Amino acid sequence: MLSLLTSLLVWAVPALICMCISSSGHFGWPGDSELRRLRYESVGVASLVGASLAAAGVVYQAILRNPLADPYLLGVSSGASLMAYVWGFQFANTLFGATLVALGQQAFAFAGALISVGIVLTLASRRGRIAPVTLLLVGVIVNAIAGSMFLLLNAIRPERLAGTGSALAFLVGGIQTNLSQAQIWIAATCVAIGWIVLLYLTGKLNVAALSESESEALGVRIHRLRWTALGVASIVTAAGVAVSGPIGFVGLICPHLARLMVGRDHRRLLPIATACGAALLPLADAGSRLFYSTGKTLLPVGVLTSLLAGPFFLFLLWRDRGEMTVPH
Amino acid sequence: MLLVVSHLEVSYGRHAALIDVSLTLAAGEVVALLGPNGSGKSTLLRALLGQLPGGGSIEWHGVSIAQWPARGLAREVAYLAQIPGWEPQQTVGDTLRLGRAPYLRPFGIESKRDIEVISEVAHRLELEDLLARPLESLSGGQRQRVFVARGLVQEPRALLLDEPNTHLDLKHQVELGELLVSLARKQGLAVLMASHDLNLAGAFADRLLLLNEGRLVANGSPDEVLRPQVLEPVYGVRLVRMETGRTPLVAPIVESRTQKTS
Repeated sequence: MLSLLTSLLVWAVPALICMCISSSGHFGWPGDSELRRLRYESVGVASLVGASLAAAGVVYQAILRNPLADPYLLGVSSGASLMAYVWGFQFANTLFGATLVALGQQAFAFAGALISVGIVLTLASRRGRIAPVTLLLVGVIVNAIAGSMFLLLNAIRPERLAGTGSALAFLVGGIQTNLSQAQIWIAATCVAIGWIVLLYLTGKLNVAALSESESEALGVRIHRLRWTALGVASIVTAAGVAVSGPIGFVGLICPHLARLMVGRDHRRLLPIATACGAALLPLADAGSRLFYSTGKTLLPVGVLTSLLAGPFFLFLLWRDRGEMTVPH
Repeated sequence: MLLVVSHLEVSYGRHAALIDVSLTLAAGEVVALLGPNGSGKSTLLRALLGQLPGGGSIEWHGVSIAQWPARGLAREVAYLAQIPGWEPQQTVGDTLRLGRAPYLRPFGIESKRDIEVISEVAHRLELEDLLARPLESLSGGQRQRVFVARGLVQEPRALLLDEPNTHLDLKHQVELGELLVSLARKQGLAVLMASHDLNLAGAFADRLLLLNEGRLVANGSPDEVLRPQVLEPVYGVRLVRMETGRTPLVAPIVESRTQKTS
């Protein structure tokens, strides 16, 4: 309970600060009701995406027993990007039907993320068992294939990326501004339900760091746990990526940031890391607005999260050099 | 009888890892499992935990292994792997808490009982002052003691250990052996321990089981099993037995060494 209250505080303070930062550089609570609504939406969506990536990052690192694991490892981002790109093509109508196309780019991205993860999990499992090393390798390969298909499509139709339309905005990662209320609520529901399931599993996630025989001897069906946790974490990631595009480093860095604060126990780690993600992304979004106020272009938040988190992560790697474990 | 194994058979593909193995384990008994590399010691331990499918029967408390729910069995039997898993910066307290995994409520909520057991085991194994220490800061002996403590936190009736003396110096090997015997005598814990050290096993165990190519070829007291005629066909080396007045000792006869010094 204490960690949930702390998490709320970790998220609420930066979120309130972000509410006060305008794209004109002014700092203050938005007086205009329409502006306030837009700001709520922007901070809310950024928090949702950050929370989803950070929570998924905690689970991926625990299940894959790899501190460098990232929610995009199983092809979520490349699958989402590919399908988001495909959405604008004529052949998408033929392939996926007009109804799905009408649901929008976010629906395509969500479907792409899930298809990618589904392929990775199917190829990496053998008799219902998932081996972390195989999963990592299959994830890398599926990511590479999806990336190549994306480049192939782009080579055939280079004009699709030439502009600054929504396809490009999605691919560079950023809080989308063309979202309907339905899209936001669907994503929020997926993330909320998934997060509760992950919180339910946190006691078992602590055991996942041990070998298979030790985990099972502690009463944890490790293969069932891997399927459930990775499946749910991937749905949570897909829901976040569908409304933001791939945003780097949040899922990687927030679990480490939270570990510095509360240690390794996943019962505390998951809520705090989620709060860190939910705070970091609105901060990056606010930073992007501030950058815009200087008369420059609106920076995608993905660029800022990488700039903020990258050096911090390098510091962690340097500090813990020799201690990072690899899966076995 | 705590554990009864009858005609156990386990295979890896076409390779038979355990063939017609039958054994028992009683409360308060310390039993050492001996045998050369690949004889099936680790496979037997994992089979007893229900982790490997096979033929024959395994019964804990008269209940077939297939009938035990995973969490239920984890409350009865604790297991210490040859190389226990742990993460950098994992503290002794974190490690002990893992032992309560079979008892945790949904969302990983601990009960008052969980906290009491961890505290009591830490006190009993003299780990109270180390609870906040990361495992990497401990000596090999201390660390092994922590892992035994993690097993005890499960409040099991049996403790299965896979070569627990690996990486321990002689002093720590003796300390660990004394600890296991003391737990068996004072708490009635049944201990089954795979080991490569024949003499140490003989010194601490009430009974020795000898595996060879998946078959149980000897089952008896240290005096009965630690004999050259029993061990030589299994290990493929010549041995000499030395009487000490207590447990007999066995040592290999190294021909090349004898020739060089003579």
